[in-house]
Amino acid sequence: MISNCLIQTKANEYILYMITTRNLTKKYGDFIAVNNLDLDVKEGEILCLLGANGAGKSTTINLLLNFITPTSGEALINGIDVTKDPIKTKSFLTYIPENLMLYPTLSAVENLDYFTGISGKKISKSQLETYLLEAGLQKEALHKRIHSFSKGMRQKVGIALAIAKDTKVLLLDEPTSGLDPKSSNEFSELLKEMSNKGVAILMATHDLFRAKSIGSHIGIMKDGVLKNNFKTQDISIQGLEELYLQTMNYNEVAL
Amino acid sequence: MFLYNFKYELKLLIRNKWIQVLSVIIIINMLFAGYNGKQKVDKRNADIENITNKVSQEDQLMLLQLDSIKQGHTVNLSKWRVPTSPMAVGNYHPRVAAMQPHDMAFVAIGQSDLFTHYTRPKVVDNSLTIKHTEMTSPVQLLFGSFDLAFVVIYLLPLIIIAFTYNILSQEKESGSLRLLASQPLSIRNWVLQKVILRFFWLVLITILVLTVVFVINEFSFSENLGAFVSCIILVVAYMMFWFALAFAINLFGKSSAKNAMSLLGLWIVFVLLIPAIMGQLSSSFYPIPSRTKMLNEMRALKAETTKKQDKILDNFLRDHPEYASKDDQGKTSFWHRYMASQRIINDELSLLQDKYDGQLRKQHELIQQFQYTSPAIIVQQSLNAMAGTSSTNYEDYRNQVASFAQQWQDFFIPLLYKNKEFTKEQYADFPKFTYQSEAEVTITTKIAVLVLFTLLITMIGWGAFRLNAKKGLVILS
Repeated sequence: MISNCLIQTKANEYILYMITTRNLTKKYGDFIAVNNLDLDVKEGEILCLLGANGAGKSTTINLLLNFITPTSGEALINGIDVTKDPIKTKSFLTYIPENLMLYPTLSAVENLDYFTGISGKKISKSQLETYLLEAGLQKEALHKRIHSFSKGMRQKVGIALAIAKDTKVLLLDEPTSGLDPKSSNEFSELLKEMSNKGVAILMATHDLFRAKSIGSHIGIMKDGVLKNNFKTQDISIQGLEELYLQTMNYNEVAL
Repeated sequence: MFLYNFKYELKLLIRNKWIQVLSVIIIINMLFAGYNGKQKVDKRNADIENITNKVSQEDQLMLLQLDSIKQGHTVNLSKWRVPTSPMAVGNYHPRVAAMQPHDMAFVAIGQSDLFTHYTRPKVVDNSLTIKHTEMTSPVQLLFGSFDLAFVVIYLLPLIIIAFTYNILSQEKESGSLRLLASQPLSIRNWVLQKVILRFFWLVLITILVLTVVFVINEFSFSENLGAFVSCIILVVAYMMFWFALAFAINLFGKSSAKNAMSLLGLWIVFVLLIPAIMGQLSSSFYPIPSRTKMLNEMRALKAETTKKQDKILDNFLRDHPEYASKDDQGKTSFWHRYMASQRIINDELSLLQDKYDGQLRKQHELIQQFQYTSPAIIVQQSLNAMAGTSSTNYEDYRNQVASFAQQWQDFFIPLLYKNKEFTKEQYADFPKFTYQSEAEVTITTKIAVLVLFTLLITMIGWGAFRLNAKKGLVILS
């Protein structure tokens, strides 16, 4: 049991790990989806999890969201075990899945009002509009019903929700998959802004280039195991590509 | 969370075309059922009014004829109908024994389409057993009447199912459940709130439309507010049961299609299957003797007794010396012999009739005992009782009519055997019939059972949800 996630640095400062997993394991019968996973994401860090389909990236996020319970080990948000106090841990985080599904018959402002409202935040309409504009949504789209929104616009509403909730942790499951390059870039810029404000971000993605451009750390998962975990600045894009393929054994397969 | 859920659920409901269509369907159905009820009650009232007016006119004529006879005039009537003869009055001027519709009769047709609501028992041929069951359209018997009870018991649960079957599954299937579940809230409470909000929405529509239907039917709220409130509480408790069922099924976390099929299956079980099985069991345990056989036996008995009327009359007068004429002028007519044999026939027939009625009563008792196996039976029985159209009401009515028929006969028989004439002065002393409903309408136990059903089902759903949450099946498939 981890009593807290405060880590003392050499300069005698304490750093709080906003996302932590220790020996986190999830089994489905004989199949091990996540195997003894240890992760730490500090405030302002962006950890990009890379890996093939079924590597355990989404399962890790589902475990952090308490959508599924771990077979063993612990998952903590802001130092709190997600299985012990899921409602409290969820008050610190925002989750943006690959396809952010909102209520189609409500407008962007109404959706934001609803999701912040049920999270216990009372925010004025004008403030909600400001958050949506901050997230990059056009003014004329604010009061349009969501059914006319593109995927990129819906993802921006997700970011606005994170801003409105004053979120500490952002969990993203392949958020840029299917977005056009312009929307992807805009979304990446928003994530960087969030990170600069101290938000800890964990993003599962297949996109090596996006991971290299926005991540502060990169982890490569295979068969539920975190094979590599390093700082982005320590590797070039070519090096990352080679390491990824090596980890996945794709080179051997190609031979 | 509740206020936000309420505010946006309302917006979503109002913007949902499917919900709008369902709301309109339930409103139209209830109004149509209320209109049907009014038609039936109006016809019943009109029938009673017509026959009462007819009797009143015939009475006036009879009194005029009595005056004429008294003044020595001859009246142009067959000897069987001359009003100075007690038997002519007793047979050709019977009173109307009417079962006036209850204030809430429009709510449930109940047994009123099977039984007559007025009869005119005569001195002779007091065979209520034959006349009490009227012919009804077999098509109507097959499908039942489209009354408010039908809409509430059969259609309202279907509307509730359509309103609620996919509250959780739709969110899961569209993908919005993931976003919802990542918010600091309990999904179980969120589903509960959604169900409660939809429950209030439908309850509001139902109460409003019911009130309109009651107003259309000229229901006296000031005099019968308690009955109206009881009816509303019963309907709301029944709706609560179906919403609880939908809530539980939602918490099992299956797909929308499976939820819909499960709820429709339960509807078939509770609304169709259990009542049908109960009806079948009651007739298997307590089979009713053949009505044709009973009628044949009655005819044979009548034929037998008619043959030996003289002997019967002697025996009768021996048993009833008060009817024997004390003077030498005592004469015995056809009626003297007929009425004496009639008494014997009635005594014999009562055995046959009791056998028939006894089985019917046992069937009703069995259904009463097992009514708590289905909320649909509970509500049907309660609404019939409130509307005054239950089998108990008609049994009461028949008993009261039989008692009145006896009074009517007892009024004329002494005059017959004393060979006295009927006079205008005796008209005022005619026995009068007023139907008094003796069936008590208590719905407290029934409401309590419906609430118990609701709690039990909610707990089952709660348990299923906990189990699924442990398996991680609530948010993810």
